[in-house]
Amino acid sequence: MPRWGMVLDLARCIGCYSCTVACHVEHGAPAGIWYAPVYEKEVGTYPQVRRLFLPTLCMHCAEPPCVQACPSGALYQRPDGIVLVDQEVCCGSRACMAACPYGALHFYDGRQAEFEAGLTPFEQRFQGKFQPGTVQKCTLCAHRLDQGILQPACVETCPTECRVFGDLDDPESAPSKLLATRKGFALRPEAGTGPSVRYVL
Amino acid sequence: MRSGNSFTARLRVEPKPQTVWGVNHAIWFFCMGVGSALYLDRLLFGIEVGAVLGMPLADLLGMLLVAVGGVVLIADLGRPERFFRAFRNVRSSWISPGAIADFLFLGLGGLLVLPSLSLGGGQPLAGLPWAPGSLLERAMATVAAAAALLIIVYPGLVLSFSPSIPLWNTTLIPLQYLGSAFAAAAGLASLLGSPSPATGSVALVAVLATLAITLAHVLNARYQRGAARLGADKLLRGSLALPFVWGSLVLGLLVPSALLALHVGAGLGGGLLALAGALMLVGNFLSKYAVIKAGYYAPLF
Repeated sequence: MPRWGMVLDLARCIGCYSCTVACHVEHGAPAGIWYAPVYEKEVGTYPQVRRLFLPTLCMHCAEPPCVQACPSGALYQRPDGIVLVDQEVCCGSRACMAACPYGALHFYDGRQAEFEAGLTPFEQRFQGKFQPGTVQKCTLCAHRLDQGILQPACVETCPTECRVFGDLDDPESAPSKLLATRKGFALRPEAGTGPSVRYVL
Repeated sequence: MRSGNSFTARLRVEPKPQTVWGVNHAIWFFCMGVGSALYLDRLLFGIEVGAVLGMPLADLLGMLLVAVGGVVLIADLGRPERFFRAFRNVRSSWISPGAIADFLFLGLGGLLVLPSLSLGGGQPLAGLPWAPGSLLERAMATVAAAAALLIIVYPGLVLSFSPSIPLWNTTLIPLQYLGSAFAAAAGLASLLGSPSPATGSVALVAVLATLAITLAHVLNARYQRGAARLGADKLLRGSLALPFVWGSLVLGLLVPSALLALHVGAGLGGGLLALAGALMLVGNFLSKYAVIKAGYYAPLF
């Protein structure tokens, strides 16, 4: 059984938001909900200033605090490490959102339309997919992996190949090799969650 | 200088205020804490507040408050009709055992007051197997007391299990909830005209303990960096200073401490006790509200 994970090479990210949009399109995510946002931070002082981009997604933690905090058991971890939410079971307590150190969970309040004029044809296509009052999150494109498509949409779209996806338990996989050659780090390591998403600089 | 729109503002790496929990949760935590502690105050310290149809008012009011807290909790769920699913994850979620304790307390508490029911000069249910003094009654009361204790602390444990929000991520919060619940419940009892001499002493000890824990919590956060410090600053000097410093610390804890000390030490009148009680109740709610609203998510890096 693989343990799916991802390594993000921050030296390659140019902050184009392609991954963010590709993910949004792949899932038809509701208005205002972005499973794969790219955060940014200005560092340094003028004139030595540069902007860092931090592409993110659910960290699919080995010890996911969201799963532990969820009272209904709607959040669960598959044997391959992917953390999913069963929206048929979710009672909308939002305890997971308070517990997640990465802001990776989103409450769907029923607003599907991004624009006041109403639903776009794209939004109409996904209307009814998400249950209002439940929590939604990145699935690491589990539906694609289950179909044998071995790349999540964000990875497939990234023009700089900043996102490297594969089996973290396989030393020959691309993310394992990348971690072996360059020092990887996890976000918020003090939270002790064991993320399956790592970063290299 | 800040730039960009609301979308790009969302994407800056910086501590962000939490918006998941709010006033509904403060009402939930307040009602359940005070209700359960009212029951425990009577059971452990003999703080009585009278009777309705022979049944102890402290128990009835305690159950009513816990029920109100439960209704607020259920109404706040995204899918209220699925509330029963919240019992499922007892292994790791503090909400699940807490929700079970809510119903256990309400069920057992309801059964325990029945033998005392007085109607038309008689006690028609006095022959129930769990009549006062029986072994079964003692067992049921012990379980109900354990449930009540869990109801007081589990909201604090839910908050403390938030590695994402450093201000909450401390065991001082459930301890603070414990102390403030006993203080506020004794305060409510004094407002209702409790004849028990223990009321003032219990309230004084609880309010002093709560004051110490609250100060330890907020000062500890104040001397950290990042999100915890931001939260503490918001409580002490920012937009929440009015409810937290003046409402909770001064009016809800310091003034009642002085009034209770006068009542217990100098034997001054019951009016002081009632005033302290009212202030402690208000302060308890404001403290919960302010600490919830002061939560900031730590930045990702």
